[in-house]
Amino acid sequence: MFPRLKPTEMISMYQPVAAHLGERLGRRVVLVTTKDFEAFWQGVKAQRYDIVHYNQYHYIHSAYAYRVVAHQQEFGRKAVAGALFVRADSGITELKQLRGRTIMFGGGRDAMMSYIAPRYLLMQAGLKDEDFKSEFAVNPPNALLALYHRQADAAGGGDILVDMPAVKTAIDTGQLRMLAATEPLLFLPWAVKRSMPAKLAGEVQSTLVGLGDSEAGRQVLRSAKVTGMGPATDKDYDVHRRLTKAVFGAKGIAR
Amino acid sequence: MRLSLGSKFALTVLVILAVTMAANTLYFFRAWAQLQEQQLVERGRALGRLIALVSPEAMLGFDYLLLNDYTREVALRRDVVYAVIVTAQGAPVSSSVESSGSPLKQRLSAARGDDILKAIESVRDDPDLIGLEFPIVHNGMPLGRFLVGLSRESVRGELRVQLMIQALIVTAIVLFLSGAIYAVFRLNVLFPIRRLIAASREVARGEYPVVEVKSSDEFGLLARAFNTMAAEVKEEQAKLHRQANYDALTGLPNRMMAFERITQEIRRAARTGDRFAVYFIDLDNFKNINDSLGHAAGDELLIAVGGRLQAALRSSDTVARLGGDEFLVLAPDITDELQVKGIAERLLHAAAEPLELSGRRVSAQCSIGIAIFPDSADTVEALMVNADEAMYQAKTQSHGSAIFFTEEMSARMRERMRLEEDLEQAIAHGQLELHFQPMVVAATEAHHGAEVLLRWRHPERGYVAPALFVPVAEASGDIVRIGEWVLEEACRAWADWRARGIDAGVLAVNVSRVQFRKRLSAHVAEMLVAYAIPPERLELEITESVLLDDHPEVADELARLRAMKVRVSLDDFGTGYSSLSYLKRFRFDVLKIDRSFINGLPESADDVSVVNAIFAMAHGLGLRVVAEGVERRAQLEFIRGRRCEFAQGWLFSKALDRAAYEAYLLAGSAGLRRQLKGAVA
Repeated sequence: MFPRLKPTEMISMYQPVAAHLGERLGRRVVLVTTKDFEAFWQGVKAQRYDIVHYNQYHYIHSAYAYRVVAHQQEFGRKAVAGALFVRADSGITELKQLRGRTIMFGGGRDAMMSYIAPRYLLMQAGLKDEDFKSEFAVNPPNALLALYHRQADAAGGGDILVDMPAVKTAIDTGQLRMLAATEPLLFLPWAVKRSMPAKLAGEVQSTLVGLGDSEAGRQVLRSAKVTGMGPATDKDYDVHRRLTKAVFGAKGIAR
Repeated sequence: MRLSLGSKFALTVLVILAVTMAANTLYFFRAWAQLQEQQLVERGRALGRLIALVSPEAMLGFDYLLLNDYTREVALRRDVVYAVIVTAQGAPVSSSVESSGSPLKQRLSAARGDDILKAIESVRDDPDLIGLEFPIVHNGMPLGRFLVGLSRESVRGELRVQLMIQALIVTAIVLFLSGAIYAVFRLNVLFPIRRLIAASREVARGEYPVVEVKSSDEFGLLARAFNTMAAEVKEEQAKLHRQANYDALTGLPNRMMAFERITQEIRRAARTGDRFAVYFIDLDNFKNINDSLGHAAGDELLIAVGGRLQAALRSSDTVARLGGDEFLVLAPDITDELQVKGIAERLLHAAAEPLELSGRRVSAQCSIGIAIFPDSADTVEALMVNADEAMYQAKTQSHGSAIFFTEEMSARMRERMRLEEDLEQAIAHGQLELHFQPMVVAATEAHHGAEVLLRWRHPERGYVAPALFVPVAEASGDIVRIGEWVLEEACRAWADWRARGIDAGVLAVNVSRVQFRKRLSAHVAEMLVAYAIPPERLELEITESVLLDDHPEVADELARLRAMKVRVSLDDFGTGYSSLSYLKRFRFDVLKIDRSFINGLPESADDVSVVNAIFAMAHGLGLRVVAEGVERRAQLEFIRGRRCEFAQGWLFSKALDRAAYEAYLLAGSAGLRRQLKGAVA
């Protein structure tokens, strides 16, 4: 599990998923997360994990070793758009007005929704990396909170950020306004090692996708604060590849 | 409200303990509250320092969710009102206020975003709030501040709870200690006091208990002192009882006890229908014995007579000494008059039995008056009065008589009472008047003055003789008022005559023995001043009865009158006791020879001898003599021959009313007076 949230929180949320998988697969499933993205990515690169859940950028850069089998659905949505937010009282109505301003991104440069998609929007508006000052919050919700607390003029993140309970309880989201958004991008992927037997990979996929079919599965989903799991193929993430390529070039960011 | 000693003590102990314990508890709680607050601040500081320590990373990483977690965690603490992280520019980036709980929290919880700092500022002076602030610094660069507000409310709430618990404990301790102290006090103080109170009440009821002495402390000493006191009171009470109820001289019951016994006997007899007799006994010649043999002999006689009377009676009878030479006998269970008479005779014989006193054989005869219950009277007072009346009747008869109270006596008493009542009104109604018996110089028959006589003109009875009403007035005490009236009227008349140029000479006013006991001299002095009468023009006539009292007051009064230069004459000399010792002891100016001695002159050799002796004695003592009742010239010649100074009697004039006496005075000469005398006669 990539450390999208605090490791302890991630463990609490996804332990039932691991347990459910272990039960359905008839084998021991150990849930692992790391203290930060760097450590997590090292594990991915070393292919230490059999099943991984991470962001879209991670997937397209590890697709050589992993194959997506499912995508996570949140807030009843299976896709999310990358977006740029500003304060409603900022007077900023167009992306071009962000020139020379400070923009807060969440996570890091490999954050699909919080950095790559918003950067894509900025590029579309003709703003290059040097045309604004980039700041990074530890995660996407904090980017929005930093905007709220006037630590930046704009913040990048998925359009679902404003609906996240953590955000809604922390700030008055009514004071923020979405300036622009990308097309919808399939949500976070669940992938298995390409070396995993097809039968087992199929069982992993069916187990994850079938979580919404039983009460026990729905309980597992509620625990992970997700609304469902849907099947996914590598092709579903081509659009992510396109955006990433536009932002970072063919090689992506160096890791 | 009256509080008992126990209540006062318990209350005092309760108050002292309560105040002491409360003061101690309050002191303890004050220190405890200070400590609690210090601990609260320390906890706040520790918390603040921790948050300030961990916040830089989150602040630098724009991890507001983490900062929120920090402030939320802090705010969840019971004593924390708010937790706010502000940037170096003063913008709040994370704040948490738990809305549940104190009103302070509720006020702050309404504030959001930037308003939180204003809200905090508005409650800064709240006494419940302790505001702390901690800088958030990274490598010397200020990143912001962590503000935390601590509430004293929980400390105070805890204080209140503890105070309540302590109050309950203190109350329980105070009550327990008070109860215990009161119990000890009750056992060691109240019980002994109550025992003493109960014993004191018994003493008040006439019982004299002995209080058990259980300890050697102050109460033991008090109990001993009480026992000693009770014993002394008992002894003293017995003595007082004896003194109050028994005659000190004879040891017989006294008047009070006699009254009590008669009262009891009346109750008993009224219940049983019995009769009983009361004997009033008076010694006939006690005065003579007392005077001639002395008081000691008189006392001896009284003791002997008392003993003999008692010996002559049944054991159920009571002999009491009423005072002086008066005794009373109460004889219950009387069957008939014969029995009563028998007892009276035994009493007479017992009293009359000769007795050796100072070497002389003396026989004390007595007079007895008898009253029977219920025939004579049915009350103590009436029985006593009736028996007394009967005794006086017996006195008028031969010595050694016993007389029953009769209906006739009762009528006489009623008559006397009526007279007494009328006499009370006499002065007010102007029924009293003065008459004047002129006195002349025996040698020349020149006018000397007059003896003032009192006359009562009763509206129904006409003139009432002084011999009849003066004893009544003396008995009732009215004689004082009447005597004062007489003296003032005589003085007024004298002054009136003088004002009109008439010389009334000397006025001799009779005064009663009763007046002597009422400061006569003061009244005389007042009259002399009021009417400007030369004292030598006033003469006060007293009888030997005045001297019978033989009281120091009499001698003092006589001395005062003589000092005022008022003349004092001894009236009716020779008719009474005629004790020569009086003449020696008391100084008089004039001696008046009673008419009974003058009557027989000059024919009766006895009267001549007596009168000669009186003249010789009077002149020997330097007294001037007035002869009363001179009616014949031979009598006048006789007294002139004895150098008698003054005379009065029909030979010169009868007693005259005021107008006649004034005419008598105006007549001026002896010849004219004789004419007047003839007219009056």
